[in-house]
Amino acid sequence: MQFIRSNTFLWALAVAATLALFVVGLFAFVYRELDDYLIARSDRMITTQIHFMAGLPRDRRARAVADQLEQDSRHVHYAGLFSARGARLAGNIDRVPSGFDLDGTVQGVRLDPLETAAGRSPIVRTVGRRLDDGDVLVLGRHVDETREISSVVGQALALGVLPAFCLCVLAGAWLSVRAQKRVEEVNQRVQRIVAGELRERLPEGNADDPFARLARIVNGMLDEMETMINALAGVGNDIAHDLRTPLTRARLALERGRTHATTLAQLQEVTDKAIAGIDQSLAIVTALLRLTEIENNRRTAGFGNVALDEILREVCDVYEPIAEDKGIALGVVIDRGVQVWGDRDLLFEAIANLVDNAVKFTPAGGRVKLELKSDDRTALVGVSDTGPGINEQEREAVLRRFYRSDKIRNTPGVGLGLSLVAAIVKLHGFRLIIGPAPGGRVEILACTARESAARRMPISDVGSGKREVDVMATRDALDAGTCRMSETEFRGVTPSLVACASASLLKPVSRFEMWEC
Amino acid sequence: MTRILLIEDDIETAEAIVAELAERSFEVQWAPNGIEGLDHARTSHPDAMIVDRMLPGMDGLTVVEALRNDQIRTPVLVLSALGAVDDRVRGLRMGGDDYLTKPFAIVELVARIEALLRRPTENRETVLVAGPLELDLIERTARRGEREIDLLPREFRLLEYMMRRSDQLLTRAMLLEEVWNYKFVPATTNLIDVHMGRLRHKVDAPGDVQLIHNVRGSGFILRGRQ
Repeated sequence: MQFIRSNTFLWALAVAATLALFVVGLFAFVYRELDDYLIARSDRMITTQIHFMAGLPRDRRARAVADQLEQDSRHVHYAGLFSARGARLAGNIDRVPSGFDLDGTVQGVRLDPLETAAGRSPIVRTVGRRLDDGDVLVLGRHVDETREISSVVGQALALGVLPAFCLCVLAGAWLSVRAQKRVEEVNQRVQRIVAGELRERLPEGNADDPFARLARIVNGMLDEMETMINALAGVGNDIAHDLRTPLTRARLALERGRTHATTLAQLQEVTDKAIAGIDQSLAIVTALLRLTEIENNRRTAGFGNVALDEILREVCDVYEPIAEDKGIALGVVIDRGVQVWGDRDLLFEAIANLVDNAVKFTPAGGRVKLELKSDDRTALVGVSDTGPGINEQEREAVLRRFYRSDKIRNTPGVGLGLSLVAAIVKLHGFRLIIGPAPGGRVEILACTARESAARRMPISDVGSGKREVDVMATRDALDAGTCRMSETEFRGVTPSLVACASASLLKPVSRFEMWEC
Repeated sequence: MTRILLIEDDIETAEAIVAELAERSFEVQWAPNGIEGLDHARTSHPDAMIVDRMLPGMDGLTVVEALRNDQIRTPVLVLSALGAVDDRVRGLRMGGDDYLTKPFAIVELVARIEALLRRPTENRETVLVAGPLELDLIERTARRGEREIDLLPREFRLLEYMMRRSDQLLTRAMLLEEVWNYKFVPATTNLIDVHMGRLRHKVDAPGDVQLIHNVRGSGFILRGRQ
């Protein structure tokens, strides 16, 4: 009987009791009002009658009293005409009640009727007057009608309230048992999840009640967490694997130095190698921490209006000497100045990383071009080069942490550059587009600051009919992992970017493989 | 003798730092926790301080904040394993003058301490001079003796930074942070070297006495005093 102690049942019981109390209270109020009304009406009636009878000639009074009593089929009227000495002249009252004021005011008194049920000496609303000739006239009216009415209503009430009360209690018990069952089931499943069964989910049911909606939200959260935990496990393996190489190099160098170094110069050379290995390990750790910092940074405290054209010029300024050293022509083409809503340092880092890759993988004599094209709603940053580019099979893989293509095994780097770019792009709610080989081309498709500032925007070219989508919600949705969304779903939540797809900014879509990141 | 207070709870790290600084003729006082460190700082008035962020007893940033509240303006280098941008910003906002993330090269730590101790006063000079070099901040021109040097804006900024700190070791990290305003480690690690190579090529023409020197494994020095 655990359900009897449950909150749901207790609440149902409390509601039922309150309802019953209310109904009883209402009935008491109605009864009192009705009682008062009937008594007042009865008082008016007998007062009028006594005035009428008092005005009759003495010889007609007895007849009038007798007539009134004859016409009283319900036996609620009492009347008595007494001589000055108290002898009864007419009526059904034996004597004038003792202590009764004969001043014409209505009082509730106990009468002595001539014929009465055993032991019944009713309290009756009575009025009495001493008449001009010394006679005493007493009229009374029994007001037990109200008690009868209340008795009838009370019975009806008992018949109505009691089943209703029981029904409430039963409903409470049923709801309590049902809720208890659902909670119990959720508890069991949560315990299984806590025990490590990450694939377990809460029961959603077919209903659309708050409980089911909550279960759906929690299941969504569990999906996300499972994905993240799996990714984390993968990253752990990647870290372990990628740190082994430089640490092994460092260890080997130290081991050989300890055994073979005979001069200070040889020892220094060994130490330099070991330091280089350790530095590379640290670079991997630093890059990973940076990536985690960006991926986990849900705050947009550093966000503001950022001039993309300035960032491009600055990146070009930084990399121009490096490109020149390699014999690569680095140029920047800016359509017009444009501002986006974002973190300046992070956007600089993302674009610098793309240019860095382009310069790194473009052979001498090649070209690297930075472009910025924009319209009122969107901006497109493009970094293209005459290098080998990213082939179709590797387009998704290059965004994975530590991925290093076989072609570039011997180039410096730890394989986190594009992961970092993807994380920054995702944080901003922008899109990363990787172009097809030959020749490298990576683009960042962004909303302009003005577009981001528009809290709501109509979708004109998506789905059926017009809807409104919150830009911030869109960014949050992207943040929450639209990576796994299909193109159609993606279009459903990113109106500004959908507009881009048809904008003249983009080359024909067939030329590009798009990755939502 | 320049006195430095080191507040660091890890004995091995502290020993290495003390040994290195002592070799460079600094007088180093060591405190193993925040409370003792704060007492030392208040009583002995060191010329500079190195404060680890995570300390037993009292957090390093709390120590720095307490000193700043006492109007003690001793330059402070904050050491920390927390290297995220937010952590650095917080460290500097709470009164640190510089922030170095663990693990660090000892030479980096020394260079930063020296930079803190020899901070260029923000004077109103419009012409900087270092040996034969002259930099006109108004005209935006550079000369070496009679020869005019044609510099790009970034090179001009780099040379200005080096001339304000002539004869002082400047690490790559310091240059990245101060001249390039980089808040992250760039993918191309020789970025500074390439830019410095181009600047050196313009400043130190063939036959000239070399002014910009590469200190192997550490950074660069502009030697104004030959």
